[in-house]
Amino acid sequence: MTDSIDRRRFLKVLGATSAGAAALSSCGIGPEPTEKLIPYLIQPEDQIPGTATYYATTCRECAAGCGVQVRVREGRAVKLEGNPDSPINRGRLCARGQAAIQGLYNPDRVTHPMIRNASGTFEAIDWDGAIQRLSAKVAGARGKGIVFLTGAEQSSFGDLVDEWMTQLGGRRQSYEPFGFEALRAGNRTAFGTAALPTYDFANAKYLLSFGADFLDTWLSPVEFQNGFSRSHAFDSGRPASMAKFVYVGPRLSLTGMNADEWIAARPGTEGTLALAMAQVIVSQRLARLPGDAPRLSGLLARHTPRAVAEVIGIEAQVIVRLATEFANSKGGLAVAGGMAAQYPNGAEIVAAVNVLNYVAGSVGSLVKFGADLAIGATNTFADLASLTSDMSAGKVALLFVHGANPAHSVPGAFQQALGKVGYKVSFSSYLDETAAACDLILPDHHPLEQWGDSRPRAGVIALQQPVVQPVFDTRPTGDVVLKLAGRPGTFQDYLQSKWRARQKTNFDQYWMDALARGGVYAEASARARPVRLAATAAGINTAAAPQPGGGDQEVVVFPHPVLHDGRGANKPWLQELPDPVSKIAWHSWVEVHPDTAAKWGLATGDFLLLKSQFGAQKFPAWITRSVRPDVLAVPTGQGHSAYGRYAQDRSANAFELLGTQVNSYGGRTFAVRASATKTGEHRKIVTTEGSPRERGQGTVEVLGLARAQGLHTGDHPFHYEETPEYAKDAVEWWGERQHEKASIGNYAGDHPRWGLAIDLSKCTGCAACVTACYAENNLATVGEQLMQRGREMSWMRLERYWLTDEKGVPQGAVNSPMLCQQCGNAPCEPVCPVFAAYHTPDGLNGQVYNRCVGTRYCSNNCPYKVRYFNWYNYAERDGEWEAWPEPLSMLLNPDVTVREKGVMEKCTFCVQRIRGAQSQARLQDRNVRDGDIVTACQQTCPSEAIIFGDLNDHHSRVYELAGNPRGYHVLAGLNTKPAITYLARVVAQETPSRG
Amino acid sequence: MVLWILAFLLPPAVLYGQQAPAASQRYRAPVVKDTGSLEGPRQPIFFRHDIHAGQDQIPCMYCHYSASVSSEPGLPSLQTCFGCHQLIGGSTPEHQAEIKKVRDAWREKKPPEWVRIHALPGFARFPHMRHIKALGTQSCATCHGDVQHMPQVYQVSTLQMGWCVRCHVEHKVTRDCTVCHY
Repeated sequence: MTDSIDRRRFLKVLGATSAGAAALSSCGIGPEPTEKLIPYLIQPEDQIPGTATYYATTCRECAAGCGVQVRVREGRAVKLEGNPDSPINRGRLCARGQAAIQGLYNPDRVTHPMIRNASGTFEAIDWDGAIQRLSAKVAGARGKGIVFLTGAEQSSFGDLVDEWMTQLGGRRQSYEPFGFEALRAGNRTAFGTAALPTYDFANAKYLLSFGADFLDTWLSPVEFQNGFSRSHAFDSGRPASMAKFVYVGPRLSLTGMNADEWIAARPGTEGTLALAMAQVIVSQRLARLPGDAPRLSGLLARHTPRAVAEVIGIEAQVIVRLATEFANSKGGLAVAGGMAAQYPNGAEIVAAVNVLNYVAGSVGSLVKFGADLAIGATNTFADLASLTSDMSAGKVALLFVHGANPAHSVPGAFQQALGKVGYKVSFSSYLDETAAACDLILPDHHPLEQWGDSRPRAGVIALQQPVVQPVFDTRPTGDVVLKLAGRPGTFQDYLQSKWRARQKTNFDQYWMDALARGGVYAEASARARPVRLAATAAGINTAAAPQPGGGDQEVVVFPHPVLHDGRGANKPWLQELPDPVSKIAWHSWVEVHPDTAAKWGLATGDFLLLKSQFGAQKFPAWITRSVRPDVLAVPTGQGHSAYGRYAQDRSANAFELLGTQVNSYGGRTFAVRASATKTGEHRKIVTTEGSPRERGQGTVEVLGLARAQGLHTGDHPFHYEETPEYAKDAVEWWGERQHEKASIGNYAGDHPRWGLAIDLSKCTGCAACVTACYAENNLATVGEQLMQRGREMSWMRLERYWLTDEKGVPQGAVNSPMLCQQCGNAPCEPVCPVFAAYHTPDGLNGQVYNRCVGTRYCSNNCPYKVRYFNWYNYAERDGEWEAWPEPLSMLLNPDVTVREKGVMEKCTFCVQRIRGAQSQARLQDRNVRDGDIVTACQQTCPSEAIIFGDLNDHHSRVYELAGNPRGYHVLAGLNTKPAITYLARVVAQETPSRG
Repeated sequence: MVLWILAFLLPPAVLYGQQAPAASQRYRAPVVKDTGSLEGPRQPIFFRHDIHAGQDQIPCMYCHYSASVSSEPGLPSLQTCFGCHQLIGGSTPEHQAEIKKVRDAWREKKPPEWVRIHALPGFARFPHMRHIKALGTQSCATCHGDVQHMPQVYQVSTLQMGWCVRCHVEHKVTRDCTVCHY
């Protein structure tokens, strides 16, 4: 390397003359320091340096049990993708699944066993010493109450713990903060079975959700979102066209946002609405009624639309219309959950919705019992409450906690009860609230580091295998349990013995197949257990019971779509991901209707202190029309008092507002009556939202269903600005210059033109694509402070525009992913003084990081505002804005440059994947085929809304979609000629709601 | 007459004259007395490419195994070295001292930390397999120089962008920035 000073160093010296020469050496510019190359001792057979190896395992971020394939580079996990073999997620993955590697490489993991010493602090202890001490404690606690608390654990690990507890005379108990107790109790009331069915969203012709957030957190979101996309998206080739989706609930969640109509029924009256609809169907014989329908006549007679309309808060004719649409679709699916299943009368609401499904004929076809979802076997909140009282009464001498954090979701009560437990052991990988209160921490491996399996539903046994060597000195809890139980072998041996019991002959082949596919799968649709109405169905009482709490405001506490019950709060990708509905990141909020806010003189960002008889927390307000005027809504997830640097002491814990009483169905009520007072404080909320109104700018286009069905190829239903007369010559001249340029040097000859098609009728706004992009392209998380100043780096953002009726009430929203459009006539290219932004021969807007000097003129000129500048050095080790503190830097994708301060970046259409596919094709002496290249956003999208391909290949899918009459370009009038075609959102013909 | 018989008896390679030169024509690596005068950085073990690749004719990709399938050329694992050197102890005291280092490293499970010679900055990507595919498996010397005759490897080409582009222009392949910079 020559010694001459290079351009970047020169500029840096100019700026740093006063800082002294010392500053230059540590900044990573100039000649690279000498590196060492350390070879393997023994070459691993399945890994080639520079290429990726994929291992199939199971995601454990929620109880759905999606299959994942982990891309491993040189022994490091760098990306999770969905496993196409799994019938649950079919190769797709949500944002929480994508963020699992931030749990694996989290800088706040517990790295070795810790024991609480005499002075009350934690100190390190070796494994053998720890297990020895614990064995003594176990021996001493026999007969005095031993409890092992886990999360939803329908797995071999759960079986092992059960066996051990039986051996000791203790018990295992599971706890999920959002445990679907109402679903089980409601199913028992209606059908006599507490099992959870599976729901066939893909074949539904009309969707009616009573609060069930099946796109965010309800049961199996990725599976349901994929099914929802198949039935709800507009596909002009399909004669039956799209299923209408109606959402009933007090606030629009991510799921509600995708509805064609919002029925904002009074909270707690959702069940009454379901019964009224059932009454209309039965009395008008709108469907082929099941034989035992007359048993419901007494119940339904009390629920005529006219009798209940006032209670629900909507008009009787709306109820009749909904019922008629539901029945006439001959494929209506009603689901109950979310807020509707979390009131004091939640189980009754679920039972009522079951009745609606039953009379419309969906039970057995779209609602299939027999799937026995695993989360239906989790213990209830009532069980946790009884454990808590046992603990408080001193009846538990030894408590083990694994995969649960009740000290966060039941603060106060559980925390106090913990103090009365003799000895507390946590297996947590992180120092969460529960672990911080324990006496001994034996950190478990992360799910990506260990063997395991899970049975999310009947017919699916998902296998889990380690994809990397353990990062820290942790041990699989299964190994520890076996050791404590005095049994030989490791958990891997135990797991295999369980699998051997299932397949006695030819086991090795069976095992290898299961490992390669991520498990064994049988379609759930194969068997549906028939159900009949139970006797208790006739006695359903959906009257809304009074909420506890004692205040004058109705507050609903809902699960945050990505942070969920708080478990996602220690992952910066999830903290930085704007909530799909509010677009708020890094902190909680309270949703307030503008009318209520006007009464109180409240603006967005003003703090409201919510106080129930159980607790008080303050939240900054977010004023929105997507909530009922008489309801305040707060998300869970924040407000941790431990759990690492990203989660601790951040915002407020909504669980504090809730009581710990068990309600009638054994669950917890997530609605409470609280008082709301302005504290006088104000904060600037961290939001990525510009304007909630699209103002007809051509950013998103929406078509009514009838109009969409009538389109033919070649139609142009959207208004395009005509080129004005005075500009016509200039545009023509420009076109000719482009042709000339396209025949010079590199640009001559046949090239692909890479393009994207995004179907807005499929995009739900779930933001899985955003997190996948962060993972694939080494995007930096900037933190709360910088995000407040608009410095977030997300190459892909989701813009949410409300669709409102004539009164301004949102009926749903259209979500538009906005990313670099790779314009054919890019405004950013001519203004770069150093040609860092230029047009590649294959149609990309190239950004060359090492040429960029940071004038930021390109970002200034971009009309879509999709260029992002590195204002700080996010990659600097121990720097102030460090985005990847060790060992988080292990998840960086080695195929993508990590950008430093002063460099502009933007979406590249995953150019590393394009070049990788081109290289593979060249090695195999062929051309790149359509489907070889899949961008990160495309690969993960559960709705399959994004298609990538070569626009110059007339047989490609993207070419076909680009010619679709629903297609349009964003801000087309600016003549930027983007390579991304958006397909307009289609909404069902609807009568606006007046909820 | 005798000449005809001799012609039958001589190894075919000599008659065809291509692959293995006659014993007297094979390259023998020189004895190196003064390591200080050699170009290139000093390595923890004095690995002689001129002996292994030049004299013993071991193909490049025996050790650098992934060059034709991956962007990384691949560094031989210690197992590759030990595979031969568990038996081959060296013919001179100097050789024996270096080979002993290999055996010690294997026994102690501590692979040597080689000093990197060819390094591109982090913002440039070089796919070895594309170049091997285009230029052939014998083309390593094009960029890395005559490694077969180097006792100690040193960098021969500048590896600066202009040098890369010149070759791309000569071979009439793409000069698009985003082929290497992304």
